[in-house]
Amino acid sequence: MMRGGKIAVRLLGPGPIGLLCFFAMLLLPLVANPYLLFVGTQLSIFVILAVGLNILVGYCGQLAFSQAAIFGIGAYGAGLLKVHLGWSFLLSVPAGAALACAVGTLIALPALRLYGLYLALATLAFAQFTQWVFLNWERVTFGAGGFRLSRPAFPYFTAGTGTFYIALFVAAILVILAARIIRSRFGRAIIAIRDGEVAAESLGIDLLRYKALAFGLSALYAGVAGGINAMTLGFVAPETYDLFLAVLLKAMIVLGGLGSIAGSVLGAGIVLILLELLRAFKSAQEIVFGAILLSCVLFAPSGLAGYLSTRLDSWRERYVRAFSPLQAGAARDAAEASSSASPVSGNA
Amino acid sequence: MSRAMVRFGAWGMLALWAAAANAQDVPGVTKDTITIGSFGALTGPSYLYGKLVMNGVEAVFDKVNAEGGIHGRKLVLLREDDRCEPAAAIAAAKKLIHQDKVFAINGGGCSNASIAAKDEVAQAGVPWLIFASVHDGLTNPVAPTIFSSALSASIEGQAQVEFAIKQNAKKVAIVSMRDSWGRSRYEPLVAYMKKKGLTAVADEELAPDANDATPVVLRLKQAGADAIILVLYPKPAAVFLRDSMKFGFKPLMIGQSAIGDPTAFEEQVGVPGATASFYTISHVKYTPDSPEIAKWRDAIHAKYPSDRLSVFNILGIGSAQVLVAALKATGPQLTREAFVKTLAGMKAIETDVFGAPINCAVPDHRCNRAPAWMHKEPGGPIKIIAVTPVD
Amino acid sequence: MLTYLLLGGLTSGALYALVALGIVLVYKATGTINFAHGEFLMISGFLAYSLYVFAGLPYLISILGAVLLAFLLGAIAERIAFRPLMHANMVSLVLATVGVSFILKGSGRMLWGGRGDYLAFPPLLPPNPIIIGEIILVPQQLVVLAGAMIVMVAFALFFRLTRIGKTMQATADNPKAARLVGIRVEQVHMLAFGVGAAIAGAAAALMAPITLLYPDIGFSLFIKGFAAAVLGGLNSMAGALLGGFLIGVIESLAGGYIATSFLEVSAFIVIMFTLIFKPRGLLGLNAVRRA
Repeated sequence: MMRGGKIAVRLLGPGPIGLLCFFAMLLLPLVANPYLLFVGTQLSIFVILAVGLNILVGYCGQLAFSQAAIFGIGAYGAGLLKVHLGWSFLLSVPAGAALACAVGTLIALPALRLYGLYLALATLAFAQFTQWVFLNWERVTFGAGGFRLSRPAFPYFTAGTGTFYIALFVAAILVILAARIIRSRFGRAIIAIRDGEVAAESLGIDLLRYKALAFGLSALYAGVAGGINAMTLGFVAPETYDLFLAVLLKAMIVLGGLGSIAGSVLGAGIVLILLELLRAFKSAQEIVFGAILLSCVLFAPSGLAGYLSTRLDSWRERYVRAFSPLQAGAARDAAEASSSASPVSGNA
Repeated sequence: MSRAMVRFGAWGMLALWAAAANAQDVPGVTKDTITIGSFGALTGPSYLYGKLVMNGVEAVFDKVNAEGGIHGRKLVLLREDDRCEPAAAIAAAKKLIHQDKVFAINGGGCSNASIAAKDEVAQAGVPWLIFASVHDGLTNPVAPTIFSSALSASIEGQAQVEFAIKQNAKKVAIVSMRDSWGRSRYEPLVAYMKKKGLTAVADEELAPDANDATPVVLRLKQAGADAIILVLYPKPAAVFLRDSMKFGFKPLMIGQSAIGDPTAFEEQVGVPGATASFYTISHVKYTPDSPEIAKWRDAIHAKYPSDRLSVFNILGIGSAQVLVAALKATGPQLTREAFVKTLAGMKAIETDVFGAPINCAVPDHRCNRAPAWMHKEPGGPIKIIAVTPVD
Repeated sequence: MLTYLLLGGLTSGALYALVALGIVLVYKATGTINFAHGEFLMISGFLAYSLYVFAGLPYLISILGAVLLAFLLGAIAERIAFRPLMHANMVSLVLATVGVSFILKGSGRMLWGGRGDYLAFPPLLPPNPIIIGEIILVPQQLVVLAGAMIVMVAFALFFRLTRIGKTMQATADNPKAARLVGIRVEQVHMLAFGVGAAIAGAAAALMAPITLLYPDIGFSLFIKGFAAAVLGGLNSMAGALLGGFLIGVIESLAGGYIATSFLEVSAFIVIMFTLIFKPRGLLGLNAVRRA
């Protein structure tokens, strides 16, 4: 009896379920109309974004709001290289991702001195600044109207189907990669940073190096997602990469579970389904979205993965705390907000 | 051949024939309904150009349905939100076309979003009557199934420049918004000015949510401008006129269809007399207070009790009437091809609200070429000065 | 040219200062940032409009009514959305307040959005421009300026002199200790949110004649107000005022001398630089621990 139960629990774990979903997605183009295929591609893009963001926020404890802007840099990079220089997507998407990664890593420098709310605000300001550049550097970015891209050409597949498969495979690879990275030395280091910077430093962890790596890695994910987004839409415009998207991305990792790769994937799915369901509410969408966001945060603070990890052993990731991993961060914020601690040390 | 095989074959043929018969059904059309899709901003700041225009469209549909529909079919409007955002517009168009399978689209609020969705609609061969977007690129290059009942950026830009010339302005300046709506109007405007051999003495910008226009007013005053072409939404325009009045700067102020309600605008500016030299264009020749459209005022109020008739509703009413006229004229055998052919041949569709009869039998499918010029004496009534058809 | 730019900057800065004051008040008393503050402002503005235009109440009564309703709204929001999350992590708190802001914005759009694009709210004083020497002002701008100063002085005194004010500061400083000495922390927080929302309400009534009323006014004002609060120091009311004026002036000068497109982005550049070089803000006091 128990053994059957244990096997069931194993089968319901993130790995097997993920594999099942992957195979189901492989078959999607056979049954879906172009709109559903488009939504499926969006799912893969959201998964890449959510996993990347969780590495930075959930595992490293850096409250950054810049992910949507870096997503945009990846999209613009890939798109502009194609339009101005004629590169194919095969070259421009990685190049755009590299550009996004470089910019993202640079953000780590000021991030060394900022925590919690202040880091959030600084990255928010950076995001607005990036949008301003997209809008005003007209010679390069085509300014406010955005620009159109030709869709990629695939042998045997339509552009829609081909892009869907590329997004799916890239997402799968990046998710597996993230799971591996988290279990590596890098993963342990950034988790240590999240849970106590002074302690981490005393263990010999170089804060600058690991924070920069975390920012850079998360930016790389966002950049790749951006390039694929440009491919999917055939259109790049500044408005797409706005604060609403930044909120959506944060919602994905909170609803799915901070500090959990499987949670990121779940969160991406939840938010996507939520957005599609919201369509039915037409003009009342904003109210319903706000209400759902509020209730989820109130009633499921550690997200779906957090909830599942209390029920099923197979969902318990070794480094996820039962309650939010940023509690340590919150305690530190409260301490430094009302105490006379200097902004640089920040560890009471 | 075994009996099982024969039976199998017979059912197979039946299924194939049923499928074939179904495949000939026109998407969005059933025995008693025609489904029309619409995308535009339902949420977000630009909901005015989406939700409110759609409300007007639905008011027309209600009246038509109450009178029996179109050849016995009732009209159904299916709305999708694009939040004035290009990616969301692409998604909304895909949904309406491939998932909801609408017969035609009567929509298109924000220009940047509509432009992004254009390819999607054109490639799927779905008829689209644009109701509010003004971007020239929507009909240039022209797609066989895409028409517009809204004025266009170049039609309005041309009208603005001609107006300035007619009023003997010597030093024309431009104040515009830098967002995609602003750029879509700014470029044709500047191009037309160049064609006429005019250069702007000053070229300024204001943000859509600006609360202070002092730097702009000062520079324009320094440049000695005597006519200002406003490529602005009502709020920044109101702030601009207010600040101009502050500095005693009273040039000719030339607006466009985004500021289509001079009464509301006068209230928004808030400084008495500031709108004395303000002239603006509207897509339609009536304003919400006009007695001629009282029945639509009642219809909107009855259907949406917390709303008040606005220029945006009126825009939707006009566009829907064009759509309805074309659907009626196509006849009971309704297919997309027949509909497009009919619409492309209609030279004079009468509506309750547009400045001139709508003519879609033009190569660039811009059916409304009649900007209506309006002026309101401060504290007085609105006068339609002219309807200046452009070719 | 310079005087006019400075003046223009000060008057728009007064708007930001008013918003910043509300943000700082809540932060001082509860240690959290209310990301829905802008939407409280918007809803109060619409409520004042409804009371004045639909219910036909006298001008000042409408404003007062809106301020009271805003207070209630703030208290309710605290009870429902903020209190349960006081100890949660920052991301959850931010998302909760964002959720509240969406609910409010959507409601604003549903209830008032169909009345027109931007609603005009009548000003307190007759709108003809006043001329004082070389200086030209629209009277309502003076009202906003005066309002900002009054709020700042009133609350500075409130925190320094009244018992409740000191209670609020103590609670923010150290909630556990406050509870130990018998302070009802939850009620203090509710009061703080209510008062913060009430300030937003007053701000809306003063600002609406200048900025006009529309459902999306909340966010753009909030961002600038937040920038002003951070610039001045999140726990300083005087800092909020200073920050507001500075941001207004910087914007105006940048717009006047560099290019108008810089007007929008200068606030963000200012935030980025402040946070890198002086994260505590210009007047941000390292709060003195009260024994």
